[in-house]
Amino acid sequence: MMNREPHRPEAPPGHEALVEQLRDALGRASELVAHLSTTLAVAAREPGAGPAAAAPRSEDDTTRALSAARLDVQELSTRLVDTEHQLDRLMSLYVATYQLHSFLDPKQVHDAIADIAINLLGAERFALLLRREGGLECEIVHTQGRIATEAPRFAGAVYEGGDPLVDGALADGVLRLGPREGSSALAAVPLKIQDEIVGALVVLKLLDHKPALGSEDRDLLDLLSAHAASALFAARLFAAKDRKLRTLESLVRLARRE
Amino acid sequence: MQPSKVLAVDDSDLMHRMYDVMLRGVPLLHARDGNEALERLAQHPDIDLVLLDINMPNMNGFELLTELGARGAVPGLAVIVVTTAGREEDASRGLAAGAAAYLTKPFRGEEVRAAIARLGESHAP
Repeated sequence: MMNREPHRPEAPPGHEALVEQLRDALGRASELVAHLSTTLAVAAREPGAGPAAAAPRSEDDTTRALSAARLDVQELSTRLVDTEHQLDRLMSLYVATYQLHSFLDPKQVHDAIADIAINLLGAERFALLLRREGGLECEIVHTQGRIATEAPRFAGAVYEGGDPLVDGALADGVLRLGPREGSSALAAVPLKIQDEIVGALVVLKLLDHKPALGSEDRDLLDLLSAHAASALFAARLFAAKDRKLRTLESLVRLARRE
Repeated sequence: MQPSKVLAVDDSDLMHRMYDVMLRGVPLLHARDGNEALERLAQHPDIDLVLLDINMPNMNGFELLTELGARGAVPGLAVIVVTTAGREEDASRGLAAGAAAYLTKPFRGEEVRAAIARLGESHAP
């Protein structure tokens, strides 16, 4: 049973304020359009009546002002949609980062990476490779989807190389997008911490309803490249320290018995 | 539709955090599987919208929908099925079992909000 309600992370404050400002501006522009429409209607019905009498204005001027106000409303609406879209994108990235750094157990970090790949990226088949300490070969620590039949290179316990996209990403730490001849990967995301490449996320297939990786996905892949590696590094360090601590505690207990 | 209380049912912590930020300002409860969802629904009879993942351990989304149907459902409760597979048959099966709409992962906040708003239109007189 889930007793706790997950903590609600705050959204980036600058963007929320911008959305609010745009909403206000949109509201004001709508009011202006409504006001101008009323003025125009009154002027047409009763020449010389209403505000037009106090500040005489030709019908052409009012019509121009009305058109300009309508254009403003249209532009502001477009900007509001763009900003909300941008806000959604930033929220996804924020939640992904938050989630990656929430765990100190390497296995849980692997699961968080898989969660992001499935739920935010829309990956149906993928493999997570991690370099063995002190070596160049990569351990396959997590796979998802039909790997054995569709991508046998990633089916065992160790990735032995051979996929040009993945080998390239592991060699120079640069994100590579497929398709490429000889490779079954759609994307090879190097997991980098400083200049060290600790592994790669290999995306092999997207969900059926997702045709291709888009620009927003590229942002997410870049985020994974940087943050997944540091989260894994921190979790591995913690696990190693934890093991040492337990060993020392055991030794102390043994020594006290003697 | 402006829901008064939403129940998000998903076994992914990430998705719960996503719902938190996507539906800011809406009272939101969380459950990790169908069994927990039934508990939440019993504890909070004012829940009027469920965002229901299909693939979950213990009791999955379809089983929960069936259970809700067997119990005569909750009056005024709308269910939006959330599928990962993106398979048409999952969505059709969910709709046939009583869901009002469906979403396929991955989705943006605006898509969830639009789906909720459309529920209002379909329930309007």
